Amino acid sequence: MNNPYLPIPVTIKKITIENEARDIKTFDLEFNAKEDVEKFKYICGQFAEVSVLGIGESPIGIASSPMDEDLLQFTVKKYATGMVTSALHNLCPGDMIGVRGPYGNGFPVKEFEGSNLVIIGGGFAFTTLRSLIRYILHEKNRARFKDITVLYGARSPGELIYKSELNQWGERDNIKVYLTVDRGDESWNGRVGLVPNVLKDISPSSKNSVALICGPLIMVKYTMLPIMDLGFKPDKIFFSLEMRMKCGIGKCGRCNIGPKYVCKDGPVFTYKELQELPQEY
Amino acid sequence: MIEKIKETVKKLFNEDKIDIFIGYGTGTLPLRTVPCFITSSGDIEKLVWNSYCFNNLAVYLPRFFLPQPQKKDVKLPRIGILAKGCDDRSIVGLIKENQIPRENIYIIGISCNGMIDVGKAQNYVCKMQEVEIISAEEKSGSILLEDEDKRKVELKKEDILADVCECCQYTNPLIYDVLIGEEVKKNKNEQQEAFIKEFEKKPLEERWKYFQEQASKCIRCYACRQACPNCYCKECFAEQTKPKWIGVTDNISDIMFFQIGRIFHQAGRCIDCGACVRACPMGIDLRIFTYKLIKDVKEFFGYEAGISLEEAPPLATFKSDDKQEFITEP
Amino acid sequence: MEKEKLKIIKKNDVLKFLDSLQKEYEVFMPVERNGDIQFSKFSSEKDFPWNYRNTKISPKEIFFPQSETLFSFKAEESALSSGSMIFKPEDEPEDSISENKNYLIFGIRPCDTLAFSLLDKLFGGDDFQDTYYMEKRSKATVISLACNKPQVTCFCTSLKGRPDNEEGADIILFDIGENILVRPITKKGEKFIESLSSWFEDAKEADIKKKNEIMVQSFQKIRSTADIQNIKEKLDKAFDISFWNEIHQKCLGCGICTYLCPTCYCFNITDEIERTAGSSTSSGGKRIRCWDSCMFSLFTMHASGHNPRPSYKERMRQRIMHKFNYCPENFKEIFCIGCGRCVRNCPVNLDLREMLILLMSFEEIKEDEKV
Repeated sequence: MNNPYLPIPVTIKKITIENEARDIKTFDLEFNAKEDVEKFKYICGQFAEVSVLGIGESPIGIASSPMDEDLLQFTVKKYATGMVTSALHNLCPGDMIGVRGPYGNGFPVKEFEGSNLVIIGGGFAFTTLRSLIRYILHEKNRARFKDITVLYGARSPGELIYKSELNQWGERDNIKVYLTVDRGDESWNGRVGLVPNVLKDISPSSKNSVALICGPLIMVKYTMLPIMDLGFKPDKIFFSLEMRMKCGIGKCGRCNIGPKYVCKDGPVFTYKELQELPQEY
Repeated sequence: MIEKIKETVKKLFNEDKIDIFIGYGTGTLPLRTVPCFITSSGDIEKLVWNSYCFNNLAVYLPRFFLPQPQKKDVKLPRIGILAKGCDDRSIVGLIKENQIPRENIYIIGISCNGMIDVGKAQNYVCKMQEVEIISAEEKSGSILLEDEDKRKVELKKEDILADVCECCQYTNPLIYDVLIGEEVKKNKNEQQEAFIKEFEKKPLEERWKYFQEQASKCIRCYACRQACPNCYCKECFAEQTKPKWIGVTDNISDIMFFQIGRIFHQAGRCIDCGACVRACPMGIDLRIFTYKLIKDVKEFFGYEAGISLEEAPPLATFKSDDKQEFITEP
Repeated sequence: MEKEKLKIIKKNDVLKFLDSLQKEYEVFMPVERNGDIQFSKFSSEKDFPWNYRNTKISPKEIFFPQSETLFSFKAEESALSSGSMIFKPEDEPEDSISENKNYLIFGIRPCDTLAFSLLDKLFGGDDFQDTYYMEKRSKATVISLACNKPQVTCFCTSLKGRPDNEEGADIILFDIGENILVRPITKKGEKFIESLSSWFEDAKEADIKKKNEIMVQSFQKIRSTADIQNIKEKLDKAFDISFWNEIHQKCLGCGICTYLCPTCYCFNITDEIERTAGSSTSSGGKRIRCWDSCMFSLFTMHASGHNPRPSYKERMRQRIMHKFNYCPENFKEIFCIGCGRCVRNCPVNLDLREMLILLMSFEEIKEDEKV
């Protein structure tokens, strides 16, 4: 029997600080044992339980895409009350941690093929959406999807993550990227405005389109209004939820919303599925 | 007495003096009552008063007054509560620690000559519950029990009083808005005193061994903590992760740290109501610590918790002539 | 009931029988401890309490202990910048089965064996197998003892249980006085009896007749019944009803009901570091799994400070819905066996049976009455 609680050892290759406040870092990881690479085949939207031995585990969304060979990335935000995230931020390249996974249902990418995609992200929650965008933009995949519109907002310009990638995407002509901030500063000459308002301005078509929304609860709540107004159907609106997790495999009984476990039946849910679940979040 | 209680509560609702009343209701098991929350005079028939009303109701008060920073103009509820001597002292403690506002609490004090211990009653009938009690009836100082084999046993209330009630010094509440019941004589606590004195004389190893034996029964269910009116911390030290004081498993040294820590956090606050002992499913002897703590606080500071709303708690005050030997040069 | 398979063992021989098995098995049985009956390793000094009702803590603690080490890790000598640990998994952690002996669980009640079969569905699911539970479970032979005298608080027959339930056990015993009637249930049970045939005799007609009489009386003794067979359907629409607003008021938020419950399984995973005495660096540590409870306030607390179940109301609702609606949804089984431990041990006499009966009779809330 495979023991599902044993983490796979990985070493940190590189750490990138993503934001001005320096509390969001991207970790590039490498598997210690080559065979483990095969064990860890993942799809966009999945997460892994990242272990810092002696401190604990934390469920983190996978930021790299399955097309990135030999590269496993996690973007981690440090929470003051979080033991594991704080410990992760104290590590350096060369240090060893563990990963368990991949867990979760991931984005149903096959379902998205042939549709337009409207990807809306807020703040730090953009990480798994980034995985999806990297996947779709890959030359092997791009043709299978139609128009891609990305709307990404953060509190201030310094808090936007994956800045270099955002710029690269902005220069491509097979993806439309709209960036916005709640509050600008001297260096910023882009859009200023809350994500829901900018969405209203952009007004993407809901015809043959799928919407993906990931962000802080309050952003998601207010973005739903224009999304519904634009005519997106509930089974074509996707969220990636967060919950406190421990086992990640649906055994410890902690992360459920009604009969569904966010670790096993999620974290990706459609709005239609969420409407059928008890309103407990 | 129950009629007087019902009458008083009815009046309070009719005069719109309270929003909720907390008392005791009929339990579903023999020799038990449940805490009963009623919101109108129509429900007063649910209230009971007998020798099984041993739960400390003060534990429910803090949750009505939790700070709600997001909500503006929150109207605080007015709570009526039935308080025996022990519950009353808990309420006083909570008021002094600013957990509940005095003006929102209407205390119906009630004199009490003790509550029974269900375990003791069961042991009279049959040990290890091999024959269970089916029904119980209380009649003027006696408890009539009937067991599964249809045998009837009559027990005097004094024979099955809880240990904590046998030595109770506060049979009549001190702080109240209205008092029900005739004054009840204080109990003698020589037995308890003698027991503690004997235990104190034992050598350190023996006392530690006893403590370890008791602690090894613990399963970390936290019933003691949850039943204690003084344990209202939003995040208990036992569950803190930053810093992680103790582990969360049933490792013996973690358990001992938890038990010692929790009880010592009661120093100057514990009133020996026995709620923790009654709640513990594993039968850990917690009173040996709570009683000793109270005895020590009385000796060192001349202070008893829960009897005065004005007296400042010893561990929250200082005097200019306090001992200073413990302060050492760095 | 196939007569040929039924056997008899003398009550007085049982302790000797168990003693003889100690070489091959780790024998667990209920014994008196600290004023209560609890499961413990066999010791020839302790008698088997034939008239015991049920153990304080459910026998789930044998396969799913309060705390168990998942794996250990050591800190490596070569100084890594932050002292991070090298992971050396020890597949056989210290607290696992000693010397690879099999387990023999003797004298467990039939409701508790039903609980095992429920936990098997969870821990042994198709997706991920919980190796810690499953390994112990597969190495165990379970011998249950049918109930002659259900307790005041037993309500197993209102759910899937019965005083002579066979699900989850390998062999079931019936106390018929001087003798114990033995009935194998599974192939494992049959083999067990065959391999130890010298201890058993064939059962006679009179024995079987006595056992049937006792069982009929036992069924009649169940005082606590409730018509809750359809509780799952009833709860499908019960998430927002006003029932939950008051039922939680008495609850203290301790973990007694969940810890003593044979089918409650929520757990926590935590890391513990060992430090060598007198040093500030650690030598290693372990990852431990221990019991947790949905009734604890910090159970679902997020690091951001958000708690989807901030008050007793949500947690009480979660407990009932999980056991009687979500688990039936996911595993097609109600996760309650009617043992009554929660009822007996709740410090405030919150009675699950009463709650379930109230829920069954709670009128459907119409749309405009939703709270």
